[in-house]
Amino acid sequence: MRRSLRSWLWRVPLDQEVDEEVAFHVEMRTRELIDGGMDPKTAREVATHRLGDIAVLKDTCVDLGRKRDREMRLMQWLEEFQDDVKFSVRQLRRSPAFTMVAAITLAFGIGANSAIFALVDATLLRPLPFPEPDRLVMIWEQTDTSRRTAVSPPNLVDWNERTRTFDRLAGFVPSVGGVVMAGADGSAENIPRQWVRVGMFDVLGVTPVAGRTFLPSDESQRANVVILSEAFWRARFNGDLSLVGREIRLDGDPYTVVGVIPNEVQLLGQTSIWALDPRPVPRGVGLLRVIGRVKSGVTLEAARADLATVADGLARDFPQTNKGRGVIVEPMHDALIGSDLRATSMLFVGVVGFVLLICCANVANLLLARATVRTRELAVRSALGAGRRRVIRQLLTESLVLSSIGGVLGVGVGAAILSIAPLLIPAGVLPGAVTLTFDLRVVTFCVAATLFVGLLFGLAPAWQATDFSAAQVIASDGRTTTGRGGRVRSWLVVGEVATAVLLLFGAGLLLRTLIAVNTIDRGYRAEQALTMLVDPLGSRYPTPESLTQFLDAVEKEILALPGVRSVAWTTTLPLGPADAGRTSFEIVGDPPVDASQRPIADYQIASPTYFQTLDLPVVAGRAFDDRDAREGIRVCIVNEAFVRGYLQGRSPIGLRIAMRPAGVAQAEPVVREVVGVARQVKGRPDEREDLVQLYVPLAQDLRDDVYLVVRPAQGSAAALAPSVRAAIGRIDKEQLVSVRGVMTLEDIASAATSRHRFRAVMVMTFAGLALLLAMVGVFGILAYSVQQRSREFGVRMALGASLTDVLGLVIGSAARLIVTGTAIGLVLAVVLGRLLATVLFGVQPLDPLTFLSVTIVLAIAAVVATAAPAWRAARIDPAVALRSQ
Amino acid sequence: MPSKTPNALLHGTLDALILKTLAGGPRHGYAIARFIEDTTGEAVLVEEGSLYPALYRLERRRWLEAEWGMSELGRRAKLYRLTDAGRAQLAAETATWRRFSAGVSKVLLAR
Repeated sequence: MRRSLRSWLWRVPLDQEVDEEVAFHVEMRTRELIDGGMDPKTAREVATHRLGDIAVLKDTCVDLGRKRDREMRLMQWLEEFQDDVKFSVRQLRRSPAFTMVAAITLAFGIGANSAIFALVDATLLRPLPFPEPDRLVMIWEQTDTSRRTAVSPPNLVDWNERTRTFDRLAGFVPSVGGVVMAGADGSAENIPRQWVRVGMFDVLGVTPVAGRTFLPSDESQRANVVILSEAFWRARFNGDLSLVGREIRLDGDPYTVVGVIPNEVQLLGQTSIWALDPRPVPRGVGLLRVIGRVKSGVTLEAARADLATVADGLARDFPQTNKGRGVIVEPMHDALIGSDLRATSMLFVGVVGFVLLICCANVANLLLARATVRTRELAVRSALGAGRRRVIRQLLTESLVLSSIGGVLGVGVGAAILSIAPLLIPAGVLPGAVTLTFDLRVVTFCVAATLFVGLLFGLAPAWQATDFSAAQVIASDGRTTTGRGGRVRSWLVVGEVATAVLLLFGAGLLLRTLIAVNTIDRGYRAEQALTMLVDPLGSRYPTPESLTQFLDAVEKEILALPGVRSVAWTTTLPLGPADAGRTSFEIVGDPPVDASQRPIADYQIASPTYFQTLDLPVVAGRAFDDRDAREGIRVCIVNEAFVRGYLQGRSPIGLRIAMRPAGVAQAEPVVREVVGVARQVKGRPDEREDLVQLYVPLAQDLRDDVYLVVRPAQGSAAALAPSVRAAIGRIDKEQLVSVRGVMTLEDIASAATSRHRFRAVMVMTFAGLALLLAMVGVFGILAYSVQQRSREFGVRMALGASLTDVLGLVIGSAARLIVTGTAIGLVLAVVLGRLLATVLFGVQPLDPLTFLSVTIVLAIAAVVATAAPAWRAARIDPAVALRSQ
Repeated sequence: MPSKTPNALLHGTLDALILKTLAGGPRHGYAIARFIEDTTGEAVLVEEGSLYPALYRLERRRWLEAEWGMSELGRRAKLYRLTDAGRAQLAAETATWRRFSAGVSKVLLAR
């Protein structure tokens, strides 16, 4: 092999080689024939002739030779690579401490990145799990006063008939509350349910796991049929195929199971059962979330334009309900993921990418320090004939071996992070069926990251390490360091500090946001309260009287419990879900407004004790009381945003307001007299605009799914839960299955701020990691330079320099690194802070307090990182330092 | 009926012959051709057109390696030599040939 390599290295060009070989053959043969007595001319002809078609012969040989050369090169490359890897492993084993530090640093960088990649992959990159997902869209209606409203079912029917760009459109009602399913053993459980329109599953293109999807005949016959989700079917019925076609009892009525649908559909909202919406709904009542499959080859713009035309047509045909009613068409992927999660994912990608860069910088620094030590070794190898490219290749191989170790460990770190991720990610941050898995895609990402990182941190050290004159290095005593290496290392550390500052700044802004949403004035003052949804089974309380009786009895029974201060009923919880919907309103006596221009308010139904129970101040007028009975004068309470926005200084008390359910323009209005003004309550902790809220007494708009709010006299509200449940049970034992969603006010507020907490905690963790790594970098370069300069320091001290002078040198160089890095970082923060604006609340991107805090944190960290090297420099004994040659 | 090409090479045999020829030491292409003609008593005629592709093929398979050297007449010539792998291949092909010819002989020469 060695010999053949040599012959390959000293070879002549291939076609020349073949030419010469053939010419030689012809000549030898000719000479032989002449010797045999042939005349020269004939001899040459015969010799040539015997070789056959020489052109073909040459081509064949050149072709074979070329393949041979290519294989040889590859073999040689592989052999050298193998040698390099072996050599690298030897080198790395020789300095286990360096190898370990570098590999662990990289493992954290790659591991954290792979976990975040899994998040981004699940939310942004991976296509929806439906056939041809690019053709799927979600559709809302919109008016001038409201964006993204639910679609009215008759409109959906007309869209389907009139559109030319959609294969089909279908709709569903995302949450209609659960149904109670009775088990054979007399047990009962509450099952989440979704109402759909026929065609829903066909638009998505899902194939049933068993049975079929809904048919138009199911809808026209108003059949009692349901479809189960695969997860529910497996968990509750052990995946029993014979269930299809059988009946189950829901809310007491028999329903036939016609099919089982795969779990992917739950991306559109988690549910266990799909049923057909039984309610006839007039045009104008928004109810549905609509999905559609655009025809193959039709662009999103064309579909939008087509549907807009259809909507215009409907506005002309049904001006009463559809005037000014447009459509919003959005790709389904975007609609499901949502801009908030997209922003969060991108934020994490940026942050974790920066952490990886810092990891690389740290490892590059370690390598650079090593390279200075290894200069002699490299010089000797280059003197022995290794070209610079060859040495660089060897060093890069070493980096790749190192990054591979880091990558393998990183896969482990990533898998570990993802296995605990479900505990870290608060509910509601990820949409329904999005799960984070450590799959082949993540591993592929790890491999790519490993290669990239290996080249990234290896290139500069390799380049710099080979930039020497071999003769000079070998001649010197090996203690010299190249000044340029030191500069590169300093800049790497400055970069690390700058990056850490940038991340700390981002973390600071998110922390301020978290504090802002946690401390914002929510309007109510009650700290402790227990809430739960009570959803009485309609069949047991068919009349308003019986329902009122039930609610009153429950209220009295709970109020009688020890430790209960007050009890109330409502349809909306502060910071929690709003179930009673929205209402359009007009002030009676004001100039009439076009139906589509009427303002919209949150509509909340509350019992008289609600305001007192939540300690929600009524700032003018009165709260509801016994006067506001079912047959009494219709009244309402407005809030501060209403007074500010619509009264222009008039007194609200005594005004009359006409209310209609939002989107039902032609409905007969309910006119109510304003009796009080309640303080502004936050619907969401980070809402930027105050919502108009209108409160209506429960007795005057009785609902059968209401939240129970119980405020304890003192102590924790959660402790009341068992006795409250028991109290409900004493009134109606059957009803207990309809009680759900037991939460304290704290739980609700915490869920409402979970996104902010999640972002802040994640970014703070990464920023802390970045700071730690950057300070390790600072420490490393200082410790190394103190060690390198110990002789110089010794000389200085021997010549009379004081301790302070030497300390000043060390601290001065530390300060230069950190101040430069911090300055650059803060400048970057000014530039990049704006990118965070969408996820910030209650804090400006250029928040001075955050600037100040980051600087202080940096200063403290810098002191810690500098202390040990400075201490070491101060303890240098001139006598020892000078003697150590 | 006598075959029209009594000296036609069996497929693959040329490779074996080349390897065997080089077992005696490095030679250039022409010398290989001559050696085979001489040794087989010209009973086997080497197709000169297929000799060189065979040599390149064997070199590619790393049974041979080539080097430019001097011919006996003082001219630059490409000399082929057997590699260790080539020697092993020769042994294998010899064994195969032995088995093959013994088998064929048993049939054709049976009384």
